[in-house]
Amino acid sequence: MSIEVRGLFFGYEDFRLSVEDLCFEGRKVTSIVGRNGAGKSTFLKCLAGVLPVPKPSLFLDGRNLASLRVRERAKLISYVPQELVLAFNYSVLDFVLMGRAAFLSPFSVPSREDLGTAAEALQFVGLEGFEKRDFSRLSSGERRLVLIARTLAQSAEILLLDEPTTFLDPKHEVEVMNLCRKLALDKGKTVIVTLHNLEMAIKYSDAMVFMKEGRVVASGRPDEVLNTDLLEQVYDIPMSIVTYDGKKIILR
Amino acid sequence: MKNKKAKVLAVVLFLLPFILTLASLSIGRFHIPPKDLGRTIIQAISPSAGPEVSAAARDILFRIRLPRLLLALMAGAALSVSGASLQALFKNPLVNEYILGISFGAAFGAALSLVFLGKNFPAQAAAFIFALGAVLAVLLISGRFESHTVSLLLTGVIVSAFFQALLSLVEFFASPYALQSLFFWLMGSLSLATWKDLSISLPVMAVGVAALILMRWRLNVLSLSEEEAKSMGVNVRREKLLVILLTSMITAAATAVAGVIGWIGLIVPHLVRMMVGADNRKVVPLSAALGASVLIIADDITRVAATFEIPIGILTSLIGIPFFIILLRRSGKVWL
Repeated sequence: MSIEVRGLFFGYEDFRLSVEDLCFEGRKVTSIVGRNGAGKSTFLKCLAGVLPVPKPSLFLDGRNLASLRVRERAKLISYVPQELVLAFNYSVLDFVLMGRAAFLSPFSVPSREDLGTAAEALQFVGLEGFEKRDFSRLSSGERRLVLIARTLAQSAEILLLDEPTTFLDPKHEVEVMNLCRKLALDKGKTVIVTLHNLEMAIKYSDAMVFMKEGRVVASGRPDEVLNTDLLEQVYDIPMSIVTYDGKKIILR
Repeated sequence: MKNKKAKVLAVVLFLLPFILTLASLSIGRFHIPPKDLGRTIIQAISPSAGPEVSAAARDILFRIRLPRLLLALMAGAALSVSGASLQALFKNPLVNEYILGISFGAAFGAALSLVFLGKNFPAQAAAFIFALGAVLAVLLISGRFESHTVSLLLTGVIVSAFFQALLSLVEFFASPYALQSLFFWLMGSLSLATWKDLSISLPVMAVGVAALILMRWRLNVLSLSEEEAKSMGVNVRREKLLVILLTSMITAAATAVAGVIGWIGLIVPHLVRMMVGADNRKVVPLSAALGASVLIIADDITRVAATFEIPIGILTSLIGIPFFIILLRRSGKVWL
Protein backbone atom coordinates (compact mmCIF):
# COMPACT_ATOMS: atom_id res chain seq x y z
CA MET A 1 0.00 0.00 0.00
CA SER A 2 1.30 3.44 -0.84
CA ILE A 3 0.46 6.81 0.68
CA GLU A 4 0.19 9.82 -1.54
CA VAL A 5 0.44 13.28 -0.06
CA ARG A 6 -1.07 16.12 -2.09
CA GLY A 7 -1.13 19.66 -0.75
CA LEU A 8 -0.91 18.76 2.94
CA PHE A 9 -0.99 21.73 5.25
CA PHE A 10 -0.95 21.85 9.02
CA GLY A 11 -0.11 24.80 11.25
CA TYR A 12 0.04 25.63 14.92
CA GLU A 13 1.43 28.67 16.74
CA ASP A 14 4.37 29.80 14.62
CA PHE A 15 4.99 26.48 12.87
CA ARG A 16 3.72 25.56 9.39
CA LEU A 17 3.94 22.12 7.83
CA SER A 18 3.41 22.17 4.10
CA VAL A 19 3.99 19.17 1.83
CA GLU A 20 3.03 19.70 -1.80
CA ASP A 21 3.47 16.37 -3.48
CA LEU A 22 5.04 13.21 -2.13
CA CYS A 23 4.51 9.48 -2.42
CA PHE A 24 5.53 6.80 0.09
CA GLU A 25 5.82 3.62 -1.87
CA GLY A 26 4.40 0.36 -0.61
CA ARG A 27 6.55 -2.49 0.77
CA LYS A 28 9.46 -0.09 1.25
CA VAL A 29 11.27 1.53 4.17
CA THR A 30 11.27 5.33 3.92
CA SER A 31 13.21 7.51 6.35
CA ILE A 32 12.24 11.08 7.05
CA VAL A 33 15.28 13.09 8.16
CA GLY A 34 16.00 16.68 9.09
CA ARG A 35 16.92 18.91 12.01
CA ASN A 36 14.99 19.04 15.26
CA GLY A 37 11.87 21.08 14.70
CA ALA A 38 11.89 20.47 10.94
CA GLY A 39 8.38 19.00 11.19
CA LYS A 40 9.20 15.28 10.91
CA SER A 41 7.08 14.21 13.89
CA THR A 42 4.25 16.58 12.94
CA PHE A 43 4.27 15.10 9.45
CA LEU A 44 4.11 11.57 10.87
CA LYS A 45 1.26 12.55 13.18
CA CYS A 46 -0.66 13.98 10.24
CA LEU A 47 -0.13 10.73 8.36
CA ALA A 48 -1.26 8.78 11.45
CA GLY A 49 -4.44 10.84 11.76
CA VAL A 50 -3.44 11.96 15.23
CA LEU A 51 -3.38 15.59 14.11
CA PRO A 52 -6.31 16.89 12.11
CA VAL A 53 -5.56 17.74 8.52
CA PRO A 54 -7.84 20.53 7.22
CA LYS A 55 -8.56 19.26 3.71
CA PRO A 56 -8.33 15.96 1.85
CA SER A 57 -4.64 15.64 1.18
CA LEU A 58 -3.72 12.06 2.11
CA PHE A 59 -4.59 9.16 -0.14
CA LEU A 60 -4.04 5.49 0.50
CA ASP A 61 -3.94 3.63 -2.80
CA GLY A 62 -6.13 6.43 -4.10
CA ARG A 63 -8.58 6.38 -1.14
CA ASN A 64 -9.05 9.64 0.73
CA LEU A 65 -7.87 8.97 4.29
CA ALA A 66 -10.03 11.74 5.76
CA SER A 67 -13.16 9.85 4.73
CA LEU A 68 -12.28 6.90 6.96
CA ARG A 69 -13.51 6.46 10.53
CA VAL A 70 -10.85 6.35 13.26
CA ARG A 71 -11.32 2.62 13.58
CA GLU A 72 -11.06 1.87 9.87
CA ARG A 73 -8.02 4.08 9.57
CA ALA A 74 -6.28 2.26 12.44
CA LYS A 75 -6.69 -1.01 10.58
CA LEU A 76 -4.64 0.48 7.73
CA ILE A 77 -2.14 2.75 9.50
CA SER A 78 -0.39 2.18 12.82
CA TYR A 79 1.79 4.65 14.66
CA VAL A 80 4.38 4.57 17.43
CA PRO A 81 5.00 7.96 19.05
CA GLN A 82 8.42 9.19 20.03
CA GLU A 83 7.62 9.51 23.70
CA LEU A 84 5.81 6.93 25.72
CA VAL A 85 3.42 7.88 28.48
CA LEU A 86 2.93 4.90 30.70
CA ALA A 87 1.17 5.33 33.99
CA PHE A 88 0.63 1.68 34.70
CA ASN A 89 2.86 -1.28 34.58
CA TYR A 90 1.33 -3.67 32.06
CA SER A 91 2.82 -6.99 31.06
CA VAL A 92 4.45 -7.19 27.63
CA LEU A 93 1.63 -9.34 26.24
CA ASP A 94 -1.08 -7.01 27.61
CA PHE A 95 0.74 -4.12 26.02
CA VAL A 96 0.99 -5.76 22.59
CA LEU A 97 -2.63 -6.90 22.88
CA MET A 98 -3.74 -3.25 22.97
CA GLY A 99 -2.87 -3.14 19.26
CA ARG A 100 -6.11 -5.07 18.70
CA ALA A 101 -8.29 -2.14 19.87
CA ALA A 102 -9.50 -1.28 16.36
CA PHE A 103 -10.95 -4.78 15.99
CA LEU A 104 -12.89 -4.75 19.26
CA SER A 105 -15.90 -2.81 20.48
CA PRO A 106 -15.41 -0.66 23.62
CA PHE A 107 -17.40 -3.20 25.59
CA SER A 108 -15.53 -6.35 24.65
CA VAL A 109 -12.31 -8.06 25.69
CA PRO A 110 -9.74 -9.66 23.38
CA SER A 111 -10.47 -13.19 22.17
CA ARG A 112 -8.14 -16.14 21.96
CA GLU A 113 -7.51 -15.18 18.36
CA ASP A 114 -6.41 -11.69 19.41
CA LEU A 115 -4.09 -13.26 21.96
CA GLY A 116 -2.64 -15.46 19.22
CA THR A 117 -2.04 -12.44 16.97
CA ALA A 118 -0.27 -10.61 19.81
CA ALA A 119 1.91 -13.64 20.65
CA GLU A 120 2.78 -14.03 16.98
CA ALA A 121 3.77 -10.36 16.74
CA LEU A 122 6.06 -10.79 19.75
CA GLN A 123 7.62 -13.82 18.14
CA PHE A 124 8.23 -11.87 14.92
CA VAL A 125 10.19 -9.16 16.73
CA GLY A 126 12.21 -11.82 18.55
CA LEU A 127 10.68 -11.40 22.00
CA GLU A 128 9.17 -14.82 22.43
CA GLY A 129 9.12 -15.70 26.11
CA PHE A 130 8.75 -12.05 27.17
CA GLU A 131 4.94 -12.25 27.40
CA LYS A 132 4.65 -12.04 31.17
CA ARG A 133 7.51 -9.63 31.79
CA ASP A 134 6.70 -6.12 33.02
CA PHE A 135 6.95 -3.60 30.19
CA SER A 136 8.47 -0.97 32.48
CA ARG A 137 11.33 -3.26 33.42
CA LEU A 138 12.48 -3.78 29.85
CA SER A 139 15.48 -2.00 28.35
CA SER A 140 14.86 0.88 25.92
CA GLY A 141 15.72 -1.40 23.00
CA GLU A 142 13.34 -4.13 24.11
CA ARG A 143 10.60 -1.54 24.65
CA ARG A 144 11.00 -0.33 21.10
CA LEU A 145 10.65 -3.89 19.83
CA VAL A 146 7.51 -4.36 21.94
CA LEU A 147 6.06 -1.16 20.47
CA ILE A 148 6.78 -2.44 16.98
CA ALA A 149 5.12 -5.74 17.94
CA ARG A 150 2.07 -3.73 19.00
CA THR A 151 1.84 -2.09 15.58
CA LEU A 152 2.12 -5.56 14.05
CA ALA A 153 -0.74 -6.79 16.23
CA GLN A 154 -2.72 -3.89 14.82
CA SER A 155 -2.42 -5.70 11.44
CA ALA A 156 -2.06 -2.40 9.57
CA GLU A 157 -0.27 -2.25 6.24
CA ILE A 158 1.46 1.02 6.98
CA LEU A 159 3.72 1.45 10.02
CA LEU A 160 4.75 4.91 11.16
CA LEU A 161 7.60 4.93 13.69
CA ASP A 162 8.68 8.21 15.22
CA GLU A 163 12.40 8.06 16.01
CA PRO A 164 12.45 4.35 16.80
CA THR A 165 16.20 4.33 17.40
CA THR A 166 16.60 7.34 19.69
CA PHE A 167 18.43 6.52 22.95
CA LEU A 168 19.36 3.06 21.69
CA ASP A 169 22.86 1.61 21.75
CA PRO A 170 24.34 0.65 18.33
CA LYS A 171 23.36 -3.02 18.73
CA HIS A 172 19.70 -2.26 19.39
CA GLU A 173 19.72 0.46 16.76
CA VAL A 174 20.76 -2.10 14.17
CA GLU A 175 18.24 -4.60 15.53
CA VAL A 176 15.35 -2.15 15.17
CA MET A 177 16.37 -1.08 11.67
CA ASN A 178 16.83 -4.71 10.59
CA LEU A 179 13.37 -5.38 11.87
CA CYS A 180 12.02 -2.48 9.78
CA ARG A 181 13.56 -4.03 6.71
CA LYS A 182 12.19 -7.44 7.59
CA LEU A 183 8.73 -5.93 7.99
CA ALA A 184 8.91 -4.43 4.51
CA LEU A 185 10.46 -7.45 2.82
CA ASP A 186 8.81 -10.39 4.60
CA LYS A 187 5.47 -8.90 5.61
CA GLY A 188 5.08 -6.44 2.75
CA LYS A 189 4.53 -3.50 5.08
CA THR A 190 5.09 0.11 4.16
CA VAL A 191 7.43 1.40 6.87
CA ILE A 192 7.95 5.11 7.43
CA VAL A 193 10.43 6.16 10.13
CA THR A 194 11.86 9.45 11.30
CA LEU A 195 15.57 9.21 12.05
CA HIS A 196 18.48 11.34 13.20
CA ASN A 197 21.21 8.86 12.36
CA LEU A 198 21.91 9.55 8.70
CA GLU A 199 24.18 6.54 8.15
CA MET A 200 21.40 4.29 9.42
CA ALA A 201 18.90 6.02 7.17
CA ILE A 202 21.15 5.57 4.14
CA LYS A 203 21.88 1.94 4.92
CA TYR A 204 18.39 0.73 5.75
CA SER A 205 16.06 2.87 3.66
CA ASP A 206 14.71 2.38 0.18
CA ALA A 207 13.85 6.06 0.09
CA MET A 208 14.67 9.19 2.07
CA VAL A 209 12.70 12.37 2.63
CA PHE A 210 14.65 15.47 3.68
CA MET A 211 12.74 18.09 5.61
CA LYS A 212 13.48 21.65 6.63
CA GLU A 213 11.24 24.23 8.28
CA GLY A 214 8.08 22.25 7.64
CA ARG A 215 8.80 21.56 3.97
CA VAL A 216 10.16 18.64 1.99
CA VAL A 217 13.46 19.75 0.48
CA ALA A 218 14.24 16.56 -1.41
CA SER A 219 13.15 12.94 -1.63
CA GLY A 220 14.19 9.82 -3.46
CA ARG A 221 16.51 6.81 -3.28
CA PRO A 222 19.44 7.51 -0.95
CA ASP A 223 22.10 6.94 -3.62
CA GLU A 224 20.29 9.23 -6.06
CA VAL A 225 19.28 12.07 -3.82
CA LEU A 226 22.11 12.34 -1.32
CA ASN A 227 24.80 14.97 -1.86
CA THR A 228 26.84 17.38 0.22
CA ASP A 229 24.90 20.45 -0.86
CA LEU A 230 21.62 18.90 0.20
CA LEU A 231 22.98 17.91 3.62
CA GLU A 232 24.39 21.38 4.20
CA GLN A 233 21.12 22.94 3.13
CA VAL A 234 19.11 20.70 5.48
CA TYR A 235 21.38 20.77 8.52
CA ASP A 236 23.00 24.24 8.15
CA ILE A 237 26.49 22.97 9.00
CA PRO A 238 29.39 21.98 6.76
CA MET A 239 29.09 18.26 5.98
CA SER A 240 30.71 15.90 3.54
CA ILE A 241 30.12 12.37 2.35
CA VAL A 242 32.93 9.85 2.00
CA THR A 243 32.67 6.32 0.74
CA TYR A 244 34.59 3.73 2.66
CA ASP A 245 34.43 0.02 1.93
CA GLY A 246 31.28 0.62 -0.15
CA LYS A 247 29.52 2.40 2.69
CA LYS A 248 28.63 6.05 2.80
CA ILE A 249 29.91 7.89 5.84
CA ILE A 250 28.88 11.40 6.71
CA LEU A 251 31.57 13.67 8.12
CA ARG A 252 30.55 16.75 10.03
CA MET B 1 1.34 -22.24 39.81
CA LYS B 2 1.21 -18.46 39.78
CA ASN B 3 -1.82 -18.63 37.52
CA LYS B 4 -3.57 -21.05 39.85
CA LYS B 5 -2.89 -18.79 42.82
CA ALA B 6 -4.33 -15.81 40.96
CA LYS B 7 -7.48 -17.80 40.13
CA VAL B 8 -7.95 -18.84 43.77
CA LEU B 9 -7.47 -15.23 44.86
CA ALA B 10 -10.05 -14.05 42.33
CA VAL B 11 -12.61 -16.64 43.50
CA VAL B 12 -12.03 -15.70 47.15
CA LEU B 13 -12.38 -11.99 46.38
CA PHE B 14 -15.60 -12.55 44.44
CA LEU B 15 -17.17 -14.70 47.15
CA LEU B 16 -16.08 -12.43 49.99
CA PRO B 17 -18.78 -9.72 49.69
CA PHE B 18 -21.55 -12.31 49.72
CA ILE B 19 -20.14 -14.16 52.72
CA LEU B 20 -19.63 -10.85 54.51
CA THR B 21 -23.18 -9.74 53.70
CA LEU B 22 -24.60 -12.91 55.22
CA ALA B 23 -22.33 -12.67 58.26
CA SER B 24 -23.07 -8.96 58.74
CA LEU B 25 -26.80 -9.57 58.85
CA SER B 26 -26.34 -10.93 62.37
CA ILE B 27 -23.96 -8.20 63.49
CA GLY B 28 -25.29 -5.17 65.36
CA ARG B 29 -26.61 -4.01 68.67
CA PHE B 30 -29.58 -6.32 68.25
CA HIS B 31 -27.78 -9.61 67.78
CA ILE B 32 -29.50 -12.09 65.49
CA PRO B 33 -27.84 -15.50 65.83
CA PRO B 34 -27.16 -17.32 62.53
CA LYS B 35 -29.81 -19.92 63.41
CA ASP B 36 -32.51 -17.25 63.70
CA LEU B 37 -31.17 -15.54 60.62
CA GLY B 38 -31.86 -18.65 58.56
CA ARG B 39 -35.30 -19.01 60.07
CA THR B 40 -36.23 -15.40 59.41
CA ILE B 41 -35.13 -15.66 55.81
CA ILE B 42 -37.09 -18.90 55.30
CA GLN B 43 -40.12 -17.34 56.90
CA ALA B 44 -39.88 -14.33 54.63
CA ILE B 45 -39.66 -16.50 51.54
CA SER B 46 -42.53 -18.78 52.51
CA PRO B 47 -44.59 -17.20 55.33
CA SER B 48 -47.09 -20.03 55.71
CA ALA B 49 -44.64 -22.92 55.92
CA GLY B 50 -41.90 -21.07 57.73
CA PRO B 51 -41.17 -21.27 61.44
CA GLU B 52 -42.27 -18.59 63.90
CA VAL B 53 -39.80 -15.74 64.31
CA SER B 54 -39.92 -12.53 66.27
CA ALA B 55 -41.33 -9.51 64.47
CA ALA B 56 -38.46 -7.40 65.82
CA ALA B 57 -35.83 -9.64 64.21
CA ARG B 58 -37.74 -9.63 60.94
CA ASP B 59 -38.11 -5.86 60.92
CA ILE B 60 -34.51 -5.23 61.82
CA LEU B 61 -33.32 -7.66 59.19
CA PHE B 62 -35.45 -6.56 56.28
CA ARG B 63 -36.12 -2.91 56.99
CA ILE B 64 -32.78 -1.87 58.44
CA ARG B 65 -29.92 -4.30 57.91
CA LEU B 66 -30.63 -5.67 54.45
CA PRO B 67 -31.03 -2.29 52.71
CA ARG B 68 -28.02 -0.99 54.59
CA LEU B 69 -25.86 -3.95 53.57
CA LEU B 70 -27.03 -3.83 49.99
CA LEU B 71 -26.09 -0.17 49.96
CA ALA B 72 -22.65 -0.95 51.43
CA LEU B 73 -22.19 -3.69 48.86
CA MET B 74 -23.18 -1.58 45.85
CA ALA B 75 -21.67 1.73 47.02
CA GLY B 76 -18.36 0.01 47.83
CA ALA B 77 -18.32 -1.59 44.39
CA ALA B 78 -19.41 1.62 42.67
CA LEU B 79 -16.87 3.91 44.33
CA SER B 80 -14.03 1.45 43.76
CA VAL B 81 -14.89 0.77 40.13
CA SER B 82 -15.28 4.48 39.60
CA GLY B 83 -11.83 5.08 41.14
CA ALA B 84 -10.17 2.34 39.07
CA SER B 85 -11.77 3.63 35.86
CA LEU B 86 -10.84 7.27 36.47
CA GLN B 87 -7.27 6.28 37.32
CA ALA B 88 -6.94 4.48 33.99
CA LEU B 89 -8.66 7.27 32.09
CA PHE B 90 -6.46 10.01 33.56
CA LYS B 91 -3.35 7.82 33.46
CA ASN B 92 -2.78 8.48 37.10
CA PRO B 93 -3.17 6.09 40.04
CA LEU B 94 -3.76 8.98 42.44
CA VAL B 95 -6.93 10.22 40.80
CA ASN B 96 -10.32 9.40 42.27
CA GLU B 97 -13.80 10.82 42.29
CA TYR B 98 -12.96 12.69 45.51
CA ILE B 99 -9.96 14.45 43.99
CA LEU B 100 -11.72 15.24 40.71
CA GLY B 101 -14.44 17.12 42.56
CA ILE B 102 -17.13 14.59 41.66
CA SER B 103 -17.87 13.69 45.29
CA PHE B 104 -18.44 17.23 46.49
CA GLY B 105 -20.30 18.15 43.31
CA ALA B 106 -22.62 15.24 43.99
CA ALA B 107 -22.86 16.12 47.69
CA PHE B 108 -23.81 19.72 46.86
CA GLY B 109 -26.44 18.57 44.35
CA ALA B 110 -27.96 16.09 46.78
CA ALA B 111 -27.91 18.63 49.65
CA LEU B 112 -29.56 21.25 47.45
CA SER B 113 -32.27 18.79 46.58
CA LEU B 114 -32.74 17.62 50.19
CA VAL B 115 -32.95 21.10 51.67
CA PHE B 116 -34.77 23.13 49.03
CA LEU B 117 -36.56 20.72 46.74
CA GLY B 118 -37.78 18.30 49.37
CA LYS B 119 -38.86 14.87 48.29
CA ASN B 120 -40.30 16.02 44.96
CA PHE B 121 -37.02 15.91 43.11
CA PRO B 122 -34.80 12.82 43.37
CA ALA B 123 -31.55 13.66 45.15
CA GLN B 124 -29.77 11.26 42.79
CA ALA B 125 -30.60 13.38 39.74
CA ALA B 126 -29.40 16.61 41.36
CA ALA B 127 -26.27 14.81 42.59
CA PHE B 128 -25.57 13.53 39.07
CA ILE B 129 -25.99 16.94 37.44
CA PHE B 130 -23.56 18.63 39.83
CA ALA B 131 -21.12 15.71 39.87
CA LEU B 132 -20.89 15.95 36.12
CA GLY B 133 -20.65 19.73 36.35
CA ALA B 134 -17.75 19.40 38.78
CA VAL B 135 -15.71 16.98 36.70
CA LEU B 136 -16.32 18.94 33.50
CA ALA B 137 -15.27 22.12 35.31
CA VAL B 138 -12.06 20.36 36.41
CA LEU B 139 -11.36 19.31 32.83
CA LEU B 140 -12.09 22.74 31.38
CA ILE B 141 -10.10 24.66 33.97
CA SER B 142 -7.11 22.33 33.89
CA GLY B 143 -7.12 23.30 30.24
CA ARG B 144 -6.91 20.05 28.38
CA PHE B 145 -8.73 16.84 27.97
CA GLU B 146 -5.55 14.85 28.43
CA SER B 147 -4.70 16.21 31.82
CA HIS B 148 -1.40 16.85 33.43
CA THR B 149 -1.16 15.38 36.89
CA VAL B 150 -0.37 18.54 38.77
CA SER B 151 -2.82 20.85 37.02
CA LEU B 152 -5.49 18.19 37.30
CA LEU B 153 -4.98 17.62 41.01
CA LEU B 154 -4.81 21.34 41.76
CA THR B 155 -7.92 22.07 39.74
CA GLY B 156 -9.66 19.18 41.49
CA VAL B 157 -8.82 20.76 44.84
CA ILE B 158 -10.11 24.15 43.68
CA VAL B 159 -13.36 22.80 42.26
CA SER B 160 -13.89 20.63 45.37
CA ALA B 161 -13.36 23.71 47.55
CA PHE B 162 -15.84 25.66 45.45
CA PHE B 163 -18.52 23.00 45.86
CA GLN B 164 -17.74 22.71 49.56
CA ALA B 165 -18.36 26.45 49.84
CA LEU B 166 -21.65 26.08 48.00
CA LEU B 167 -22.48 23.21 50.33
CA SER B 168 -21.83 25.46 53.33
CA LEU B 169 -24.15 28.02 51.79
CA VAL B 170 -26.90 25.38 51.59
CA GLU B 171 -26.20 24.48 55.23
CA PHE B 172 -26.40 28.15 56.17
CA PHE B 173 -29.86 28.51 54.68
CA ALA B 174 -31.13 25.13 55.83
CA SER B 175 -33.65 24.87 58.65
CA PRO B 176 -32.26 23.47 61.92
CA TYR B 177 -34.12 20.22 61.36
CA ALA B 178 -32.84 19.80 57.78
CA LEU B 179 -29.37 20.86 58.91
CA GLN B 180 -29.16 18.07 61.45
CA SER B 181 -29.90 15.31 58.95
CA LEU B 182 -27.78 17.02 56.30
CA PHE B 183 -24.85 17.20 58.67
CA PHE B 184 -25.02 13.51 59.54
CA TRP B 185 -25.54 12.46 55.94
CA LEU B 186 -22.58 14.54 54.70
CA MET B 187 -20.17 12.70 56.97
CA GLY B 188 -21.09 9.55 55.11
CA SER B 189 -23.48 7.11 56.59
CA LEU B 190 -25.22 4.01 55.42
CA SER B 191 -27.76 4.11 58.23
CA LEU B 192 -30.14 6.32 56.26
CA ALA B 193 -30.70 3.66 53.62
CA THR B 194 -34.36 3.06 52.93
CA TRP B 195 -35.84 0.82 50.27
CA LYS B 196 -37.36 3.89 48.60
CA ASP B 197 -33.97 5.59 48.13
CA LEU B 198 -32.36 2.35 47.13
CA SER B 199 -34.99 1.69 44.47
CA ILE B 200 -33.32 4.43 42.40
CA SER B 201 -29.71 4.25 43.56
CA LEU B 202 -29.12 0.51 43.42
CA PRO B 203 -30.19 -0.02 39.78
CA VAL B 204 -28.24 3.07 38.68
CA MET B 205 -25.10 1.83 40.44
CA ALA B 206 -25.60 -1.71 39.12
CA VAL B 207 -25.95 -0.52 35.51
CA GLY B 208 -22.96 1.84 35.77
CA VAL B 209 -20.72 -0.74 37.43
CA ALA B 210 -21.72 -3.39 34.88
CA ALA B 211 -20.99 -1.02 31.96
CA LEU B 212 -17.56 -0.12 33.35
CA ILE B 213 -16.77 -3.78 33.97
CA LEU B 214 -17.64 -4.43 30.33
CA MET B 215 -15.24 -1.60 29.36
CA ARG B 216 -12.44 -3.03 31.50
CA TRP B 217 -10.09 -3.92 28.67
CA ARG B 218 -10.80 -0.71 26.82
CA LEU B 219 -9.61 1.13 29.93
CA ASN B 220 -6.16 -0.37 29.33
CA VAL B 221 -6.08 1.25 25.91
CA LEU B 222 -7.50 4.53 27.24
CA SER B 223 -4.68 4.64 29.80
CA LEU B 224 -2.17 5.13 26.96
CA SER B 225 -1.49 8.61 25.59
CA GLU B 226 -4.37 10.13 23.68
CA GLU B 227 -2.31 10.08 20.49
CA GLU B 228 -1.56 6.39 20.80
CA ALA B 229 -5.12 5.43 21.66
CA LYS B 230 -6.40 7.46 18.72
CA SER B 231 -3.92 5.92 16.30
CA MET B 232 -5.09 2.50 17.53
CA GLY B 233 -8.64 3.18 16.43
CA VAL B 234 -10.18 4.45 19.66
CA ASN B 235 -12.57 7.38 19.49
CA VAL B 236 -10.87 8.87 22.54
CA ARG B 237 -13.13 11.84 23.17
CA ARG B 238 -16.33 9.85 22.93
CA GLU B 239 -15.09 6.99 25.09
CA LYS B 240 -13.56 9.31 27.67
CA LEU B 241 -16.84 11.15 27.96
CA LEU B 242 -18.68 7.84 28.33
CA VAL B 243 -16.41 6.76 31.20
CA ILE B 244 -16.79 10.17 32.87
CA LEU B 245 -20.59 9.97 32.53
CA LEU B 246 -20.69 6.46 33.98
CA THR B 247 -18.37 7.23 36.90
CA SER B 248 -20.23 10.46 37.71
CA MET B 249 -23.51 8.57 37.55
CA ILE B 250 -22.51 5.84 39.99
CA THR B 251 -20.69 8.21 42.34
CA ALA B 252 -23.75 10.47 42.39
CA ALA B 253 -26.07 7.52 43.03
CA ALA B 254 -23.87 6.38 45.94
CA THR B 255 -23.38 9.89 47.37
CA ALA B 256 -27.08 10.79 47.17
CA VAL B 257 -27.90 7.97 49.59
CA ALA B 258 -24.73 7.40 51.57
CA GLY B 259 -23.14 10.86 51.70
CA VAL B 260 -19.48 11.51 51.03
CA ILE B 261 -17.50 8.31 51.51
CA GLY B 262 -14.03 9.27 50.39
CA TRP B 263 -10.87 7.34 49.65
CA ILE B 264 -12.40 3.93 48.93
CA GLY B 265 -11.95 4.67 45.22
CA LEU B 266 -8.28 5.29 45.78
CA ILE B 267 -7.32 2.54 48.20
CA VAL B 268 -9.20 -0.40 46.77
CA PRO B 269 -7.97 -0.30 43.15
CA HIS B 270 -4.46 0.21 44.46
CA LEU B 271 -4.67 -2.85 46.70
CA VAL B 272 -6.02 -4.87 43.80
CA ARG B 273 -3.18 -3.70 41.55
CA MET B 274 -0.70 -4.78 44.22
CA MET B 275 -2.25 -8.25 44.15
CA VAL B 276 -2.89 -8.86 40.44
CA GLY B 277 -0.98 -6.22 38.46
CA ALA B 278 -2.24 -3.32 36.38
CA ASP B 279 -4.38 -5.10 33.77
CA ASN B 280 -7.83 -3.53 34.09
CA ARG B 281 -9.46 -6.74 32.90
CA LYS B 282 -8.70 -7.94 36.42
CA VAL B 283 -8.45 -4.64 38.30
CA VAL B 284 -11.96 -3.36 37.53
CA PRO B 285 -14.04 -6.43 38.47
CA LEU B 286 -11.85 -7.29 41.46
CA SER B 287 -12.07 -3.69 42.67
CA ALA B 288 -15.85 -4.06 42.62
CA ALA B 289 -15.60 -7.19 44.77
CA LEU B 290 -12.99 -5.86 47.18
CA GLY B 291 -14.65 -2.42 47.41
CA ALA B 292 -17.94 -4.04 48.38
CA SER B 293 -16.17 -6.14 51.04
CA VAL B 294 -14.22 -3.19 52.44
CA LEU B 295 -17.31 -1.03 52.82
CA ILE B 296 -19.25 -3.87 54.45
CA ILE B 297 -16.42 -4.38 56.96
CA ALA B 298 -16.13 -0.62 57.54
CA ASP B 299 -19.86 -0.44 58.14
CA ASP B 300 -19.69 -3.39 60.57
CA ILE B 301 -16.97 -1.54 62.48
CA THR B 302 -19.00 1.67 62.68
CA ARG B 303 -21.96 -0.31 63.99
CA VAL B 304 -20.21 -2.29 66.70
CA ALA B 305 -17.06 -0.38 67.65
CA ALA B 306 -18.77 2.11 69.95
CA THR B 307 -22.08 2.60 71.68
CA PHE B 308 -22.79 5.40 69.23
CA GLU B 309 -22.42 5.08 65.48
CA ILE B 310 -19.32 6.60 63.88
CA PRO B 311 -20.09 8.03 60.40
CA ILE B 312 -18.47 5.72 57.87
CA GLY B 313 -17.08 8.63 55.81
CA ILE B 314 -14.95 9.64 58.80
CA LEU B 315 -13.61 6.11 59.15
CA THR B 316 -12.70 5.75 55.46
CA SER B 317 -11.01 9.18 55.48
CA LEU B 318 -9.03 8.38 58.63
CA ILE B 319 -7.68 5.25 56.98
CA GLY B 320 -7.55 6.64 53.44
CA ILE B 321 -5.58 9.81 53.95
CA PRO B 322 -2.43 8.20 55.47
CA PHE B 323 -2.66 5.60 52.72
CA PHE B 324 -2.82 8.36 50.10
CA ILE B 325 0.30 9.99 51.56
CA ILE B 326 2.20 6.72 51.33
CA LEU B 327 1.04 6.33 47.71
CA LEU B 328 2.05 9.86 46.86
CA ARG B 329 5.54 9.25 48.21
CA ARG B 330 5.88 6.07 46.20
CA SER B 331 4.28 7.32 43.01
CA GLY B 332 7.36 9.03 41.60
CA LYS B 333 9.29 5.80 41.68
CA VAL B 334 6.83 3.13 40.84
CA TRP B 335 3.79 4.17 38.91
CA LEU B 336 4.47 7.30 36.92
